[in-house]
Amino acid sequence: MRLEMAEFSVREIRFSERFCYRDGVLEVDRNELARLVLRDPRIQAARCEIVSPGDAVRVTGIRDLVEPRLKASGSSQVFPGVLGPVAPVGNGVTHRLSGMAVLACAAYEGTIRAGTGVQRSAILDMAGAGAAASRFSTLKHLVLIVEISSGIAEVEAHGAIQKAELEVALRIAQTTRGAMPAKSEIFQSNAAERALPRVALVQGCLTDAQQGHSGVSYYGLPIRESLTTAIHPNELFDGAVTVNTTRCVAYSPTTWDWQNHPLALALYRAQAAGRLNFAAVLLERIAFENFHGKEVVAHSTAQLAAQMQVDAALVTWTGSGNAFVEVMMTIRALEERGIKTVLVTYEYGGKDGIDSPLLYYVPQANAAVSTGSRDRWIELPEAEKIIGPYDDIKVLSYPGAPKTPARERLTLDARDMIAGGVDNWGGRDWVCELF
Amino acid sequence: MISKELDRAGLPVALITAMYPVAEQVGASRIVKAVAIPHPCGDPNLPAELDAKLRREIVLTALKALQANVATTTVFAPEGRSRS
Repeated sequence: MRLEMAEFSVREIRFSERFCYRDGVLEVDRNELARLVLRDPRIQAARCEIVSPGDAVRVTGIRDLVEPRLKASGSSQVFPGVLGPVAPVGNGVTHRLSGMAVLACAAYEGTIRAGTGVQRSAILDMAGAGAAASRFSTLKHLVLIVEISSGIAEVEAHGAIQKAELEVALRIAQTTRGAMPAKSEIFQSNAAERALPRVALVQGCLTDAQQGHSGVSYYGLPIRESLTTAIHPNELFDGAVTVNTTRCVAYSPTTWDWQNHPLALALYRAQAAGRLNFAAVLLERIAFENFHGKEVVAHSTAQLAAQMQVDAALVTWTGSGNAFVEVMMTIRALEERGIKTVLVTYEYGGKDGIDSPLLYYVPQANAAVSTGSRDRWIELPEAEKIIGPYDDIKVLSYPGAPKTPARERLTLDARDMIAGGVDNWGGRDWVCELF
Repeated sequence: MISKELDRAGLPVALITAMYPVAEQVGASRIVKAVAIPHPCGDPNLPAELDAKLRREIVLTALKALQANVATTTVFAPEGRSRS
Protein backbone atom coordinates (compact mmCIF):
# COMPACT_ATOMS: atom_id res chain seq x y z
CA MET A 1 0.00 0.00 0.00
CA ARG A 2 1.48 3.32 -1.11
CA LEU A 3 -0.06 6.71 -0.48
CA GLU A 4 1.30 10.00 -1.74
CA MET A 5 0.12 12.89 0.42
CA ALA A 6 0.36 16.11 -1.58
CA GLU A 7 0.41 19.22 0.59
CA PHE A 8 -1.24 22.52 -0.32
CA SER A 9 -0.64 24.89 2.57
CA VAL A 10 -3.19 27.60 3.32
CA ARG A 11 -1.95 30.91 4.69
CA GLU A 12 -5.18 32.82 4.13
CA ILE A 13 -8.87 32.01 3.65
CA ARG A 14 -10.99 34.63 1.84
CA PHE A 15 -14.66 34.86 0.97
CA SER A 16 -15.26 35.36 -2.72
CA GLU A 17 -17.73 34.61 -5.52
CA ARG A 18 -15.80 31.48 -6.51
CA PHE A 19 -13.74 28.57 -5.26
CA CYS A 20 -10.04 28.90 -5.94
CA TYR A 21 -6.70 27.88 -4.41
CA ARG A 22 -3.60 29.75 -5.53
CA ASP A 23 -0.25 30.40 -3.79
CA GLY A 24 -1.58 29.65 -0.33
CA VAL A 25 -4.72 31.76 -0.67
CA LEU A 26 -7.99 29.88 -0.55
CA GLU A 27 -11.09 31.62 -1.90
CA VAL A 28 -14.47 30.17 -0.99
CA ASP A 29 -18.02 31.05 -1.97
CA ARG A 30 -19.87 31.07 1.35
CA ASN A 31 -23.33 31.26 -0.27
CA GLU A 32 -22.64 28.21 -2.37
CA LEU A 33 -21.45 26.29 0.71
CA ALA A 34 -24.62 27.23 2.61
CA ARG A 35 -26.74 26.04 -0.32
CA LEU A 36 -24.80 22.77 -0.43
CA VAL A 37 -25.40 22.11 3.27
CA LEU A 38 -29.06 23.19 3.23
CA ARG A 39 -29.97 20.44 0.77
CA ASP A 40 -30.18 18.24 3.89
CA PRO A 41 -33.66 18.72 5.42
CA ARG A 42 -32.26 17.95 8.87
CA ILE A 43 -30.40 21.28 8.70
CA GLN A 44 -32.54 24.41 8.92
CA ALA A 45 -29.90 27.13 8.79
CA ALA A 46 -26.28 27.33 7.66
CA ARG A 47 -23.61 30.01 7.32
CA CYS A 48 -19.82 30.32 7.19
CA GLU A 49 -17.29 32.55 8.95
CA ILE A 50 -13.50 32.77 8.92
CA VAL A 51 -11.30 32.92 12.02
CA SER A 52 -7.52 33.16 12.14
CA PRO A 53 -4.85 32.79 14.83
CA GLY A 54 -4.68 35.87 17.05
CA ASP A 55 -8.28 36.99 16.42
CA ALA A 56 -9.91 38.06 19.70
CA VAL A 57 -12.78 35.65 19.16
CA ARG A 58 -14.29 32.72 21.01
CA VAL A 59 -15.91 30.08 18.82
CA THR A 60 -18.87 28.24 20.40
CA GLY A 61 -20.90 25.13 19.63
CA ILE A 62 -17.93 23.21 18.18
CA ARG A 63 -18.75 19.61 17.24
CA ASP A 64 -15.77 18.51 15.17
CA LEU A 65 -12.87 19.64 12.94
CA VAL A 66 -11.85 18.21 9.61
CA GLU A 67 -8.92 18.86 7.28
CA PRO A 68 -10.02 19.28 3.65
CA ARG A 69 -8.71 16.36 1.57
CA LEU A 70 -9.29 15.06 -1.93
CA LYS A 71 -8.49 11.75 -3.58
CA ALA A 72 -6.67 13.01 -6.66
CA SER A 73 -5.78 9.64 -8.14
CA GLY A 74 -6.69 6.10 -7.24
CA SER A 75 -10.01 4.34 -7.42
CA SER A 76 -11.41 5.27 -4.02
CA GLN A 77 -12.17 8.52 -2.22
CA VAL A 78 -11.63 10.05 1.20
CA PHE A 79 -14.02 9.18 4.06
CA PRO A 80 -15.02 5.74 2.79
CA GLY A 81 -18.31 4.45 4.17
CA VAL A 82 -19.40 8.04 4.89
CA LEU A 83 -18.95 10.10 1.70
CA GLY A 84 -18.49 7.10 -0.57
CA PRO A 85 -18.82 3.33 -0.65
CA VAL A 86 -16.97 0.98 1.68
CA ALA A 87 -13.97 0.48 -0.60
CA PRO A 88 -10.27 0.18 0.25
CA VAL A 89 -8.40 3.45 0.80
CA GLY A 90 -4.80 4.35 1.53
CA ASN A 91 -3.50 4.07 -2.06
CA GLY A 92 -2.91 6.60 -4.81
CA VAL A 93 -2.59 10.34 -4.31
CA THR A 94 -4.44 12.38 -1.69
CA HIS A 95 -4.39 16.18 -1.58
CA ARG A 96 -4.52 17.96 1.77
CA LEU A 97 -5.09 21.60 2.59
CA SER A 98 -2.69 22.01 5.49
CA GLY A 99 -2.70 24.74 8.12
CA MET A 100 -6.48 24.97 8.12
CA ALA A 101 -9.61 23.16 9.20
CA VAL A 102 -13.31 23.19 8.63
CA LEU A 103 -14.55 23.92 12.14
CA ALA A 104 -18.02 22.40 12.36
CA CYS A 105 -20.32 24.17 14.84
CA ALA A 106 -23.95 23.24 15.40
CA ALA A 107 -26.90 24.40 17.45
CA TYR A 108 -28.40 21.14 18.65
CA GLU A 109 -30.39 20.59 21.80
CA GLY A 110 -30.45 16.78 21.73
CA THR A 111 -33.02 14.30 22.96
CA ILE A 112 -30.86 12.51 25.54
CA ARG A 113 -30.67 14.37 28.87
CA ALA A 114 -28.06 12.48 30.91
CA GLY A 115 -25.26 9.94 30.60
CA THR A 116 -22.58 9.31 28.00
CA GLY A 117 -24.90 9.95 25.04
CA VAL A 118 -25.69 13.60 25.85
CA GLN A 119 -24.77 16.07 23.10
CA ARG A 120 -21.83 18.30 24.06
CA SER A 121 -20.04 21.09 22.30
CA ALA A 122 -16.70 22.76 22.84
CA ILE A 123 -15.26 26.26 22.57
CA LEU A 124 -12.07 27.61 21.02
CA ASP A 125 -10.34 30.91 21.78
CA MET A 126 -8.08 32.18 19.01
CA ALA A 127 -6.13 34.51 21.34
CA GLY A 128 -5.01 34.55 24.97
CA ALA A 129 -4.81 31.74 27.52
CA GLY A 130 -7.49 29.67 25.79
CA ALA A 131 -5.56 29.76 22.53
CA ALA A 132 -2.36 28.71 24.30
CA ALA A 133 -4.25 25.70 25.72
CA SER A 134 -5.35 24.35 22.32
CA ARG A 135 -3.49 22.87 19.36
CA PHE A 136 -6.21 24.21 17.05
CA SER A 137 -5.63 27.92 17.73
CA THR A 138 -2.71 27.96 15.29
CA LEU A 139 -4.88 26.92 12.32
CA LYS A 140 -6.94 29.08 9.98
CA HIS A 141 -10.57 28.00 10.26
CA LEU A 142 -13.48 28.03 7.91
CA VAL A 143 -16.22 27.97 10.53
CA LEU A 144 -19.35 26.16 9.36
CA ILE A 145 -22.31 27.02 11.60
CA VAL A 146 -25.48 24.96 11.23
CA GLU A 147 -28.76 24.67 13.09
CA ILE A 148 -30.22 21.20 13.42
CA SER A 149 -34.01 21.00 13.01
CA SER A 150 -35.90 20.23 16.21
CA GLY A 151 -36.90 16.69 17.16
CA ILE A 152 -33.91 15.03 15.49
CA ALA A 153 -32.38 12.11 17.42
CA GLU A 154 -28.65 12.11 18.23
CA VAL A 155 -27.57 9.60 15.62
CA GLU A 156 -29.43 11.51 12.88
CA ALA A 157 -28.06 14.84 14.07
CA HIS A 158 -24.59 13.31 13.89
CA GLY A 159 -25.28 12.17 10.34
CA ALA A 160 -26.35 15.69 9.35
CA ILE A 161 -23.40 17.48 10.97
CA GLN A 162 -20.85 15.01 9.65
CA LYS A 163 -22.23 15.05 6.11
CA ALA A 164 -22.23 18.85 6.14
CA GLU A 165 -18.63 19.21 7.38
CA LEU A 166 -17.26 16.52 5.06
CA GLU A 167 -19.06 17.86 1.98
CA VAL A 168 -17.85 21.39 2.70
CA ALA A 169 -14.30 20.10 3.23
CA LEU A 170 -14.42 18.11 0.00
CA ARG A 171 -15.80 21.06 -1.98
CA ILE A 172 -12.90 23.20 -0.76
CA ALA A 173 -10.29 20.50 -1.41
CA GLN A 174 -11.53 20.23 -5.01
CA THR A 175 -9.86 23.61 -5.66
CA THR A 176 -6.54 21.72 -5.78
CA ARG A 177 -7.58 19.25 -8.48
CA GLY A 178 -4.93 19.25 -11.20
CA ALA A 179 -2.65 21.59 -9.24
CA MET A 180 0.99 20.82 -8.42
CA PRO A 181 1.73 20.53 -4.70
CA ALA A 182 4.55 22.44 -3.05
CA LYS A 183 5.64 19.17 -1.45
CA SER A 184 4.59 15.55 -1.08
CA GLU A 185 5.20 12.80 1.43
CA ILE A 186 5.09 9.08 0.65
CA PHE A 187 3.55 6.68 3.14
CA GLN A 188 4.38 3.08 2.34
CA SER A 189 4.83 -0.13 4.32
CA ASN A 190 8.37 -1.36 4.45
CA ALA A 191 7.69 -5.03 5.06
CA ALA A 192 10.80 -6.38 3.33
CA GLU A 193 13.32 -4.76 5.70
CA ARG A 194 13.60 -7.29 8.53
CA ALA A 195 16.76 -6.05 10.22
CA LEU A 196 14.96 -3.14 11.85
CA PRO A 197 12.57 -3.44 14.81
CA ARG A 198 8.92 -3.74 13.88
CA VAL A 199 6.92 -1.15 15.79
CA ALA A 200 3.13 -1.00 16.07
CA LEU A 201 0.78 1.72 17.21
CA VAL A 202 -1.74 0.30 19.66
CA GLN A 203 -4.64 2.74 19.63
CA GLY A 204 -7.16 2.21 22.43
CA CYS A 205 -10.58 3.54 21.45
CA LEU A 206 -13.17 4.21 24.13
CA THR A 207 -16.53 3.34 22.63
CA ASP A 208 -19.95 3.50 24.27
CA ALA A 209 -21.44 0.32 22.88
CA GLN A 210 -24.95 1.15 24.08
CA GLN A 211 -25.18 4.57 22.38
CA GLY A 212 -26.48 5.22 18.86
CA HIS A 213 -23.03 6.41 17.89
CA SER A 214 -20.37 4.65 19.94
CA GLY A 215 -17.85 7.50 19.57
CA VAL A 216 -15.40 5.99 17.06
CA SER A 217 -16.29 4.68 13.59
CA TYR A 218 -14.36 2.58 11.07
CA TYR A 219 -15.57 3.12 7.48
CA GLY A 220 -18.60 4.86 8.99
CA LEU A 221 -19.56 1.96 11.23
CA PRO A 222 -19.47 2.76 14.97
CA ILE A 223 -17.13 0.31 16.75
CA ARG A 224 -18.90 -1.47 19.59
CA GLU A 225 -17.63 -4.44 21.58
CA SER A 226 -15.07 -5.63 19.05
CA LEU A 227 -11.82 -7.40 19.75
CA THR A 228 -8.61 -5.86 18.45
CA THR A 229 -8.52 -4.96 14.75
CA ALA A 230 -5.40 -4.49 12.60
CA ILE A 231 -5.62 -1.61 10.12
CA HIS A 232 -3.13 0.03 7.78
CA PRO A 233 -1.91 3.47 8.92
CA ASN A 234 -2.71 4.91 5.46
CA GLU A 235 -6.39 4.25 6.11
CA LEU A 236 -6.27 6.89 8.86
CA PHE A 237 -4.91 9.51 6.43
CA ASP A 238 -7.80 8.88 4.04
CA GLY A 239 -10.46 9.26 6.74
CA ALA A 240 -11.33 5.64 7.52
CA VAL A 241 -11.74 6.53 11.21
CA THR A 242 -14.25 9.21 12.15
CA VAL A 243 -15.98 10.35 15.35
CA ASN A 244 -19.35 11.21 16.86
CA THR A 245 -20.08 14.81 15.84
CA THR A 246 -22.76 15.44 18.47
CA ARG A 247 -20.20 15.14 21.28
CA CYS A 248 -17.05 17.20 21.17
CA VAL A 249 -15.13 16.64 24.40
CA ALA A 250 -11.43 17.38 24.38
CA TYR A 251 -10.29 13.93 25.52
CA SER A 252 -11.97 12.41 22.43
CA PRO A 253 -9.85 13.33 19.41
CA THR A 254 -11.59 14.94 16.40
CA THR A 255 -11.69 13.82 12.77
CA TRP A 256 -8.80 16.26 12.10
CA ASP A 257 -6.72 14.45 14.73
CA TRP A 258 -7.37 11.02 13.22
CA GLN A 259 -6.42 12.36 9.76
CA ASN A 260 -3.21 13.80 11.22
CA HIS A 261 -2.47 11.16 13.89
CA PRO A 262 0.85 12.44 15.27
CA LEU A 263 2.06 9.01 16.40
CA ALA A 264 1.30 7.38 13.04
CA LEU A 265 3.11 10.24 11.28
CA ALA A 266 6.04 10.02 13.70
CA LEU A 267 6.39 6.26 13.17
CA TYR A 268 6.37 6.75 9.39
CA ARG A 269 9.03 9.47 9.65
CA ALA A 270 11.16 7.26 11.90
CA GLN A 271 10.81 4.52 9.27
CA ALA A 272 11.86 6.95 6.53
CA ALA A 273 14.93 7.81 8.64
CA GLY A 274 15.83 4.11 8.72
CA ARG A 275 15.25 3.60 12.43
CA LEU A 276 12.34 1.12 12.42
CA ASN A 277 9.57 -0.52 10.45
CA PHE A 278 6.06 0.75 11.04
CA ALA A 279 4.35 -2.62 11.36
CA ALA A 280 0.68 -1.86 11.97
CA VAL A 281 -1.99 0.14 13.69
CA LEU A 282 -4.02 -1.95 16.10
CA LEU A 283 -7.39 -0.48 17.02
CA GLU A 284 -8.31 -1.80 20.45
CA ARG A 285 -11.80 -1.22 21.75
CA ILE A 286 -11.58 -0.25 25.42
CA ALA A 287 -14.11 0.40 28.24
CA PHE A 288 -15.42 -3.14 28.56
CA GLU A 289 -17.95 -3.26 31.36
CA ASN A 290 -16.31 -5.96 33.42
CA PHE A 291 -12.84 -7.11 34.24
CA HIS A 292 -13.09 -10.27 32.13
CA GLY A 293 -13.70 -8.15 29.01
CA LYS A 294 -10.70 -5.99 29.82
CA GLU A 295 -8.47 -9.04 30.30
CA VAL A 296 -9.57 -10.60 27.01
CA VAL A 297 -9.12 -7.49 24.87
CA ALA A 298 -5.65 -6.90 26.32
CA HIS A 299 -4.82 -10.51 25.46
CA SER A 300 -6.31 -10.05 21.98
CA THR A 301 -4.01 -7.11 21.24
CA ALA A 302 -0.89 -8.87 22.50
CA GLN A 303 -1.77 -12.04 20.62
CA LEU A 304 -2.26 -10.14 17.36
CA ALA A 305 0.94 -8.13 17.86
CA ALA A 306 2.96 -11.29 18.56
CA GLN A 307 1.52 -12.98 15.50
CA MET A 308 2.49 -9.95 13.39
CA GLN A 309 6.05 -10.29 14.77
CA VAL A 310 5.91 -6.89 16.40
CA ASP A 311 8.97 -6.04 18.52
CA ALA A 312 7.74 -2.85 20.19
CA ALA A 313 4.59 -0.76 20.47
CA LEU A 314 3.46 2.75 21.24
CA VAL A 315 0.32 2.38 23.35
CA THR A 316 -2.16 5.23 23.53
CA TRP A 317 -5.88 5.81 23.97
CA THR A 318 -8.92 8.04 23.63
CA GLY A 319 -11.46 8.89 26.29
CA SER A 320 -11.39 8.81 30.04
CA GLY A 321 -12.16 6.76 33.13
CA ASN A 322 -12.14 2.97 33.45
CA ALA A 323 -11.03 2.52 29.82
CA PHE A 324 -7.53 3.23 31.08
CA VAL A 325 -7.53 -0.12 32.92
CA GLU A 326 -7.39 -1.89 29.53
CA VAL A 327 -4.55 0.38 28.43
CA MET A 328 -2.42 -0.73 31.38
CA MET A 329 -3.44 -4.37 31.03
CA THR A 330 -2.50 -4.23 27.35
CA ILE A 331 0.94 -2.96 28.29
CA ARG A 332 1.32 -5.84 30.71
CA ALA A 333 0.16 -8.39 28.13
CA LEU A 334 2.56 -7.02 25.48
CA GLU A 335 5.54 -6.84 27.84
CA GLU A 336 4.91 -10.40 29.06
CA ARG A 337 5.31 -11.52 25.43
CA GLY A 338 8.60 -9.65 25.14
CA ILE A 339 7.13 -6.74 23.18
CA LYS A 340 8.54 -3.46 24.50
CA THR A 341 6.04 -0.68 25.11
CA VAL A 342 5.92 3.07 25.54
CA LEU A 343 2.71 4.56 26.92
CA VAL A 344 1.59 7.94 25.54
CA THR A 345 -1.10 9.52 27.70
CA TYR A 346 -2.42 12.69 29.24
CA GLU A 347 -2.40 12.97 33.02
CA TYR A 348 -5.03 13.94 35.54
CA GLY A 349 -3.44 15.64 38.53
CA GLY A 350 -6.28 17.85 39.71
CA LYS A 351 -6.58 21.60 40.05
CA ASP A 352 -2.98 22.09 41.11
CA GLY A 353 -1.40 19.10 39.40
CA ILE A 354 -0.65 17.25 42.63
CA ASP A 355 -3.35 14.55 42.61
CA SER A 356 -2.78 11.03 41.27
CA PRO A 357 -1.84 11.38 37.58
CA LEU A 358 -3.22 8.02 36.42
CA LEU A 359 -6.21 5.89 37.46
CA TYR A 360 -4.32 2.60 37.40
CA TYR A 361 -0.86 1.27 36.72
CA VAL A 362 1.07 -1.98 36.38
CA PRO A 363 4.78 -2.56 37.10
CA GLN A 364 5.37 -3.57 33.46
CA ALA A 365 4.57 0.00 32.36
CA ASN A 366 8.17 1.16 32.64
CA ALA A 367 8.25 3.82 29.90
CA ALA A 368 5.68 6.57 29.54
CA VAL A 369 5.40 9.91 27.81
CA SER A 370 3.09 12.46 29.41
CA THR A 371 1.24 14.81 27.08
CA GLY A 372 0.26 17.23 29.82
CA SER A 373 -2.40 17.61 32.45
CA ARG A 374 -6.06 17.48 31.58
CA ASP A 375 -7.67 18.90 34.66
CA ARG A 376 -5.58 21.90 35.68
CA TRP A 377 -7.93 24.85 36.15
CA ILE A 378 -7.81 27.56 33.54
CA GLU A 379 -9.05 31.17 33.42
CA LEU A 380 -10.15 32.48 30.04
CA PRO A 381 -10.31 36.25 29.60
CA GLU A 382 -13.35 37.98 28.17
CA ALA A 383 -13.58 37.60 24.39
CA GLU A 384 -14.22 40.55 22.06
CA LYS A 385 -16.48 38.60 19.79
CA ILE A 386 -18.42 35.34 19.70
CA ILE A 387 -18.58 33.28 16.52
CA GLY A 388 -20.80 30.23 16.50
CA PRO A 389 -24.37 29.21 17.24
CA TYR A 390 -24.37 29.95 20.98
CA ASP A 391 -24.10 33.34 22.69
CA ASP A 392 -24.71 31.62 26.03
CA ILE A 393 -23.05 28.39 27.06
CA LYS A 394 -23.14 25.88 29.89
CA VAL A 395 -19.79 25.63 31.59
CA LEU A 396 -21.01 22.64 33.62
CA SER A 397 -22.66 19.82 31.71
CA TYR A 398 -25.18 18.35 34.17
CA PRO A 399 -28.89 18.47 33.17
CA GLY A 400 -30.36 21.88 33.98
CA ALA A 401 -26.98 23.55 34.49
CA PRO A 402 -27.27 27.34 34.24
CA LYS A 403 -26.06 29.16 31.13
CA THR A 404 -23.57 32.00 31.22
CA PRO A 405 -22.75 34.54 28.51
CA ALA A 406 -20.06 32.94 26.34
CA ARG A 407 -18.22 36.27 25.96
CA GLU A 408 -17.51 36.64 29.66
CA ARG A 409 -14.38 35.69 31.55
CA LEU A 410 -14.69 31.93 32.20
CA THR A 411 -13.17 29.66 34.84
CA LEU A 412 -12.95 26.06 33.67
CA ASP A 413 -12.12 23.20 36.07
CA ALA A 414 -10.67 21.03 33.27
CA ARG A 415 -9.60 21.32 29.65
CA ASP A 416 -12.45 19.10 28.46
CA MET A 417 -14.49 21.97 27.03
CA ILE A 418 -11.68 23.50 24.99
CA ALA A 419 -11.49 21.98 21.50
CA GLY A 420 -7.94 20.69 21.26
CA GLY A 421 -7.40 21.32 24.97
CA VAL A 422 -6.37 17.73 25.80
CA ASP A 423 -3.46 16.35 23.80
CA ASN A 424 -4.14 12.59 23.83
CA TRP A 425 -1.42 11.66 21.33
CA GLY A 426 1.27 14.23 21.93
CA GLY A 427 0.86 16.32 18.79
CA ARG A 428 2.15 19.46 20.49
CA ASP A 429 5.66 20.57 21.31
CA TRP A 430 5.77 19.80 25.00
CA VAL A 431 8.76 20.42 27.19
CA CYS A 432 9.51 18.74 30.47
CA GLU A 433 10.42 20.44 33.72
CA LEU A 434 11.64 18.52 36.74
CA PHE A 435 10.91 19.84 40.23
CA MET B 1 -10.28 6.31 48.76
CA ILE B 2 -13.54 6.82 50.70
CA SER B 3 -13.38 3.22 51.94
CA LYS B 4 -9.84 3.76 53.20
CA GLU B 5 -10.89 6.85 55.14
CA LEU B 6 -13.82 4.96 56.71
CA ASP B 7 -11.39 2.17 57.65
CA ARG B 8 -9.08 4.70 59.23
CA ALA B 9 -11.99 5.99 61.31
CA GLY B 10 -12.51 2.44 62.63
CA LEU B 11 -15.63 1.58 60.63
CA PRO B 12 -15.53 -1.78 58.82
CA VAL B 13 -16.00 -1.34 55.06
CA ALA B 14 -16.82 -3.68 52.19
CA LEU B 15 -16.31 -2.12 48.76
CA ILE B 16 -18.48 -3.64 46.02
CA THR B 17 -16.77 -2.94 42.70
CA ALA B 18 -16.39 -4.37 39.21
CA MET B 19 -12.94 -2.78 38.98
CA TYR B 20 -11.48 -4.77 41.85
CA PRO B 21 -7.87 -4.51 40.61
CA VAL B 22 -8.14 -0.72 40.97
CA ALA B 23 -9.53 -1.17 44.49
CA GLU B 24 -6.68 -3.57 45.30
CA GLN B 25 -4.17 -1.04 44.07
CA VAL B 26 -5.68 1.70 46.22
CA GLY B 27 -5.49 -0.71 49.16
CA ALA B 28 -9.13 -1.13 50.14
CA SER B 29 -9.49 -3.70 52.94
CA ARG B 30 -12.51 -5.80 51.89
CA ILE B 31 -13.35 -5.91 48.19
CA VAL B 32 -16.45 -7.65 46.83
CA LYS B 33 -16.44 -8.56 43.13
CA ALA B 34 -19.34 -6.88 41.37
CA VAL B 35 -21.00 -7.80 38.06
CA ALA B 36 -20.13 -4.89 35.75
CA ILE B 37 -19.36 -1.18 35.92
CA PRO B 38 -22.84 0.05 34.88
CA HIS B 39 -24.67 -2.51 37.05
CA PRO B 40 -22.46 -3.62 39.95
CA CYS B 41 -25.09 -5.29 42.12
CA GLY B 42 -27.11 -7.25 39.55
CA ASP B 43 -27.34 -8.34 35.95
CA PRO B 44 -30.19 -6.94 33.81
CA ASN B 45 -29.44 -9.63 31.20
CA LEU B 46 -30.73 -12.32 33.58
CA PRO B 47 -34.40 -13.24 34.03
CA ALA B 48 -35.83 -11.29 36.99
CA GLU B 49 -35.83 -14.31 39.32
CA LEU B 50 -32.18 -15.17 38.73
CA ASP B 51 -31.20 -11.51 38.92
CA ALA B 52 -32.88 -11.27 42.35
CA LYS B 53 -30.92 -14.33 43.49
CA LEU B 54 -27.67 -12.85 42.25
CA ARG B 55 -28.36 -9.50 43.90
CA ARG B 56 -29.04 -11.27 47.18
CA GLU B 57 -25.78 -13.23 46.87
CA ILE B 58 -23.78 -10.08 46.30
CA VAL B 59 -25.30 -8.33 49.31
CA LEU B 60 -24.81 -11.43 51.52
CA THR B 61 -21.19 -11.68 50.37
CA ALA B 62 -20.70 -8.03 51.28
CA LEU B 63 -22.22 -8.63 54.73
CA LYS B 64 -19.92 -11.63 55.24
CA ALA B 65 -16.96 -9.53 54.17
CA LEU B 66 -17.90 -6.86 56.71
CA GLN B 67 -17.74 -9.43 59.52
CA ALA B 68 -14.43 -10.91 58.40
CA ASN B 69 -11.20 -10.03 60.14
CA VAL B 70 -8.73 -9.06 57.44
CA ALA B 71 -5.08 -8.18 57.84
CA THR B 72 -4.49 -7.10 54.25
CA THR B 73 -6.52 -6.37 51.11
CA THR B 74 -8.88 -9.30 50.60
CA VAL B 75 -11.16 -10.02 47.64
CA PHE B 76 -14.51 -11.75 48.21
CA ALA B 77 -16.31 -13.37 45.26
CA PRO B 78 -20.07 -13.95 45.40
CA GLU B 79 -20.87 -17.65 45.06
CA GLY B 80 -22.09 -18.89 41.70
CA ARG B 81 -20.18 -16.26 39.73
CA SER B 82 -17.34 -17.84 37.81
CA ARG B 83 -16.07 -14.64 36.14
CA SER B 84 -16.84 -11.00 36.28
